[in-house]
Amino acid sequence: MGRGEGGLTVDGTAVEAAAPTARRRRRFDWATPSLLGPPVGWLLVFFLAPIVYVALYSFHVRVLPGSAPGTALSAWHLGTYLPLFWKSVQMSLIVSALVVLVAYPLAYYLALSGTPRKYVLLLVLIAPFLTSYLLRVLAWKVILGDQGVVNWFLTKTGIEAAGHPLSFLLYSRFAVMLVLGYVWLPFVALPIFVTLESLDQRLLEAASDLGASRLQTFRRVTLPLSLPGVVAAFLFVFIPTVGEFVTPSLVGGTSGYMYGNQIHDLFNGGFPDWQTGATLSLFLLGVIAALTFVFVRFLRLGEARVA
Amino acid sequence: MDVALSANGRRVIRVFFALVLVFLYAPIAILLVFSFNKASVPTFPLTGFTFRWYHDFATNREMQAALETSAIVAAISSVIAVALGVLASLGLSRRAFRGKGVVTAFLLIPLVMPLIVLGISLLLLYHELGVPLSLVTITIGHVVISIPYAILVLLPRLEQVDRSLAEAAYDLGAGALTTFRRITLPLILPAVVSAFLIAFTTSFDEYAVASFLAGSRETFPLFLYSQLRFPDKLPQVIAVAVVIMTLTIAVVVGAELWRRRAEARLGEAPTY
Repeated sequence: MGRGEGGLTVDGTAVEAAAPTARRRRRFDWATPSLLGPPVGWLLVFFLAPIVYVALYSFHVRVLPGSAPGTALSAWHLGTYLPLFWKSVQMSLIVSALVVLVAYPLAYYLALSGTPRKYVLLLVLIAPFLTSYLLRVLAWKVILGDQGVVNWFLTKTGIEAAGHPLSFLLYSRFAVMLVLGYVWLPFVALPIFVTLESLDQRLLEAASDLGASRLQTFRRVTLPLSLPGVVAAFLFVFIPTVGEFVTPSLVGGTSGYMYGNQIHDLFNGGFPDWQTGATLSLFLLGVIAALTFVFVRFLRLGEARVA
Repeated sequence: MDVALSANGRRVIRVFFALVLVFLYAPIAILLVFSFNKASVPTFPLTGFTFRWYHDFATNREMQAALETSAIVAAISSVIAVALGVLASLGLSRRAFRGKGVVTAFLLIPLVMPLIVLGISLLLLYHELGVPLSLVTITIGHVVISIPYAILVLLPRLEQVDRSLAEAAYDLGAGALTTFRRITLPLILPAVVSAFLIAFTTSFDEYAVASFLAGSRETFPLFLYSQLRFPDKLPQVIAVAVVIMTLTIAVVVGAELWRRRAEARLGEAPTY
């Protein structure tokens, strides 16, 4: 590779070109960890380690001074809390299903109807999600209360007698579910929109050319292909709502009390019991991890089938 | 023939779309109306026009302190989250290594972490380490929440940017840092701004984690929550609500439009 008399420039460039490659190869050893080390490290310390502590507390490996002694097993008083967990799961399931049902046609319209303003409309749909969560809940307090907008309207129009407001509207399971649906609806349209948007529209045309009606095309082609987006959307609502405690504490009263409120009260309430609170948290985490795992498997299966 | 929707179907879905938008925006509009209403109880019929609640909020020291606290927490946490997000996205998009799938999943997994569990787990960590609760402890939690969002915004953009540009700079003798500062960063700047705004608004609005990790200083959502318990404070809170909602919508929508224009100018189709 020495520099001969002839072709000096050629050799010169060759050497120049080889040098950075060599440099890059040497760099390779530290560049990846130095790029990924800080973010991964942050999450190891402030995300994974804390979960380990939750597990240690719930299995009584770590015990707080003053907490009731017990073995790992007796810490799992799940029998006591399982009905509440089930109630929260039911509420979240209903909310997630309804919200996905409402969002699907909207996303479908935006993605497939060829409307020229689809991104503007999508932004209009999502914008409320970007505003304050607490304030959107507050708005419903104003609307649903005994003196709220709905009851005022009903009295005004003579549908209900003055002084007999519909009091189930606020501080009820209904209120919690309505507000959770309201809060999450804008967000859910997004994953469905993305899958429908990336769907190969020629497939729809092919189905139609082969004589399928719109409904058949939808049932046999569009819906199955958009299922990953639907499931993702469903989980994006279900996961945060099943552990929700802010909305129920503001509009739920006693009948809207959820599993998340129980966890919250075990930590921040009048009679703190961190051990039990940690146990309940770990259980919630386990359920969500299982769901996420099943979902990812489902996605893989779908990919394999398409391929 | 339109294979997706019939003419009637299109009409029905448009009406449905309009109804959903009414459902989404009516509560916000109602808050707006009540913020100018004289009565101190937010109920119909309206009793007259006033700026009093806006004036009250403008002179409420406690509220201003809370807003300031939240602004500090949001600014610091979003800067850290975006910096970590840029590092992670560069690593994931520009480097080949074993176990990339696992690392990607790990960086995104906080997305499916219930905030209540995140708050509690960090509380236990701080308790074990003897760290007193303060703004720092909240900020750390908010960074955890925002890292995945930052990556989700930055990674698609980096995948899109022609990597031969950075390689060319490198071959011309620029170091890794110079290449990043002069080539890669300007190309992904719109996405960086988006990621920053998302992280900022997320932190500014975050209640669940902050409620477990707050020390003596309240962030704005914590202050707001405590005020919701006093009915006579409601109109004032509503006035702030309106100001903040308008500001966030304006900033986010404006930034999104700017990003799309900027990325179009940089010569590629925008990522949505």
